[in-house]
Amino acid sequence: MSNSQTLTVDHDSRPVCFSTRFFRLIRQREAGLLLLISLTSVVVGIHDVRFFSVDVWRDILVRCAPTAIVACGVMLVVVTGEIDISVGSLMALLAAVMGRMLSEQELDISCWIGIPVTLGLGTLIGVFTGSLVSMGRVPSIIVTLGLLTALRGLTTLMMGGKNIDRLPEGLTQVAKQGFLGVPISILAAAGVIGLTSILIHHIPLGRRLYALGSSAESARMAGLSEVRLKLFAFGYTGFLTALATIVDVPRLPKIESGIGSEFELLVVTCVVVGGVAISGGQGRLIGVLLAVVLMTMIRPALTFMDIGEAGEKWTRAIQGMFILLAVVSDSLFSWRQRHSGKVHAA
Amino acid sequence: MPDTGGGRSYAWWHETVIAVLLVMVLQFAGWLVPGFLKLQSQLLLSRQLWEFAILALGMTLIIITGGIDLSVGSTMGLSAVVFGGVHSSSGSLMAASLACLATGLCCGAVNGALVSRLRLHPLIVTLATFAAYRGIAEGWSQGHSYSRFGDAFSDLARGSWLGVPLPGAMFVLMATGFAVFLSKTPYGRFLYAIGHNERAAKFSGISVNRIRFWLYTTSGLLAGLASLIYVARFDTAQADVGKGFELDVITAVVLGGTSIYGGRGTIPGTMLGLLLIHETRLLVSRYWGSDELRSIVIGCLLIVAVLACQLVSRKRRS
Repeated sequence: MSNSQTLTVDHDSRPVCFSTRFFRLIRQREAGLLLLISLTSVVVGIHDVRFFSVDVWRDILVRCAPTAIVACGVMLVVVTGEIDISVGSLMALLAAVMGRMLSEQELDISCWIGIPVTLGLGTLIGVFTGSLVSMGRVPSIIVTLGLLTALRGLTTLMMGGKNIDRLPEGLTQVAKQGFLGVPISILAAAGVIGLTSILIHHIPLGRRLYALGSSAESARMAGLSEVRLKLFAFGYTGFLTALATIVDVPRLPKIESGIGSEFELLVVTCVVVGGVAISGGQGRLIGVLLAVVLMTMIRPALTFMDIGEAGEKWTRAIQGMFILLAVVSDSLFSWRQRHSGKVHAA
Repeated sequence: MPDTGGGRSYAWWHETVIAVLLVMVLQFAGWLVPGFLKLQSQLLLSRQLWEFAILALGMTLIIITGGIDLSVGSTMGLSAVVFGGVHSSSGSLMAASLACLATGLCCGAVNGALVSRLRLHPLIVTLATFAAYRGIAEGWSQGHSYSRFGDAFSDLARGSWLGVPLPGAMFVLMATGFAVFLSKTPYGRFLYAIGHNERAAKFSGISVNRIRFWLYTTSGLLAGLASLIYVARFDTAQADVGKGFELDVITAVVLGGTSIYGGRGTIPGTMLGLLLIHETRLLVSRYWGSDELRSIVIGCLLIVAVLACQLVSRKRRS
C-alpha cells in the first residue's frame, strides 16, 4: 500500500509544491486515519465538549482493547498472506469454557488453573488451524470459515441454552477496576502491542513473517520453514484471542452464546483499513491500531450527538462509510500520484 | 467443464467426491429416518433452500473469477427494508418489488464500480459494503418491521406449480441459464480465464473490468430477488433479513468444488454443494433435533471435504 521509501528517494531531489507534499502525506494510510479520527472528535467535541473528558476516552480505549489485542495477531496472519475469520467464534467458545470452569455455579475451579487452561486451549486451536492451512494446504479462508460455523455450534451446545453468570468475585473486580486505576484490558492491550511491535521490528521471526508474505517462493529458497511460520502466526492469534476473552468477558454481566458474533469481521476490517495488504508482506502496526480506534469510537461519538436512540442504529452505516473513505482515498491518491508522475516524466 | 489441469486427466473428481458424499448422506438418512427420502416431504422442506441457491449462482461466477462478495446478506437486508418502506408508503406491491430489485441492482453496481474502476480488492470492498448496507438498513428502518403484504404475494414463495415450489422452478430455470452461459458462451469461458490469470486475460483482449462490474451487479440483483422471496415467505421485511447468509452461501459454493483462488468451478458442482448442505441440515435437525449440532456438522464437512479433495488431487499430481 504505502511505499514511502522509494517515493521519497524519487521526489527528494526535486522541489515540490505544497499540494503535492500534502497529498503525499495524506497518502500514508496512517495520516488519513488520524485525520478521520480528529475530524470526528472535533465535530463531536464542538457539539458537546464533554466528549473530550478523560472518562469518555477511557471508555473508548476499554472498548478498543479486545479488538486491538486480537488485531495484533490477525495482522501477522494477514502479513503471511493468509486470513483468519474464526476469532469471533473462538472467543465465544473460550468464554464458554472459561465460564464453565470458573463460575461458582458450575465447576468452580481456581482462577490459577482456569486462566492458563483457557490460554492453552486458544493457542491449541490456533495451532490446529495453522496446521490445516500449512500442512493440509486447505486455503485459510475455508478453514476459518468452517471453524467459524463449527465453533459457534460447539459453544451453543456447551451452554445448553443457559447463560453463565457468577464468575468469581476476584476476576470481575480486577476486570472492572483494573490495576492502579488503569483497566486491566488496557494494560493487556499495551503489553500485547509492545510485544508485537518488538516482534515485528527487532526479532528475526517477525521479519521472516513479512518475507514469507511478500514472496513464499523466495522465502522457501532462503531456507525459511513456511509450516513453522504459519503455525506461529495462527497460534499467536489463538493465544491473543484467549487473552482478549479473559480480560474482556468478566466485565460483562453474564456470558451468553452470542458473544463475539461478527467480531471476526470487525477485526479483519480494522487490519485491512489499517493498511495491511491483503495479499501479504506489507503493513504497519500503528495503522491497524488507528483503525481500531476509528472503528470503535463511532458508537460512543454518536451517543454524544444528541440524536437519541435513532443515532446508534446508524453506527454500522458510518463504519462502512469510513472503511470506504479510507480505502477509496488511498486508491484515488495513488492514482493521482501515478498521474502526476507521468506529467513530470513528460 | 472445470479446469482439466493435466491434459486428459479426469476433470470432475471434486464433483464426484461430493456426489458420492451426497448419496451416502441420503442413504444414511433414509435408513435413520423412515420417510426421509419421500419426494413430497423433500419438496415441502426445500423451501428454506431457494434463497441460498439463488445467491449461490452469482457467488459461483464471482469466485470463479477469483473475487468474493461478502455483501449479499446485507444487500438482502437493505432490499427488504426498501421493499417494506415503498409498500407502506405507496401500497403497491408491484412498485415495492421493483424497488426491491432495483436496490439490489444498485448495491451490486456500487460493489462492481469500486472493484473494477478503483481496482480495490473485492474482499475489502464487500467488507465495507457489508457493514454499510446493513447499517443503512438498520438506520433507515430504526428496527421497525413491515408485514401484511397480502396472500397473493405470499403465494409467490409458498405456492407451487405441478408440485414444484415456484421459487424452485425459478431457480432451476436460472441455474440452467447460468450453466449454459458458463460452459458454452465465450463470456462464460472468459470468467475462467480471468480467474486463472487476470493479466493474461487482459492482454488477450478480454475486458476484465467490464465483466467484473457486471458480475457484481448481477450478484446484487440476485440478492434483491432472494430478498423478495424471503420476504414473501415470512411475510415480514426488516433490517436483519439475510443476516449471516454470505458465509453459508460461500460454504456451499466452495463445497461444490469452486476454487477460492479462482479458475475452477461449475454450476452443477455448486448445486451438489447446496444439496449436500441442505440434506445434512435436514438430517441432523430431524434426527437429533439440534440446531447446534447442525452447524458443527456443516463446519466440519466443509473442512474435511476440501481437505480430502486437496489430498486426492495432490496424490494424483505426483
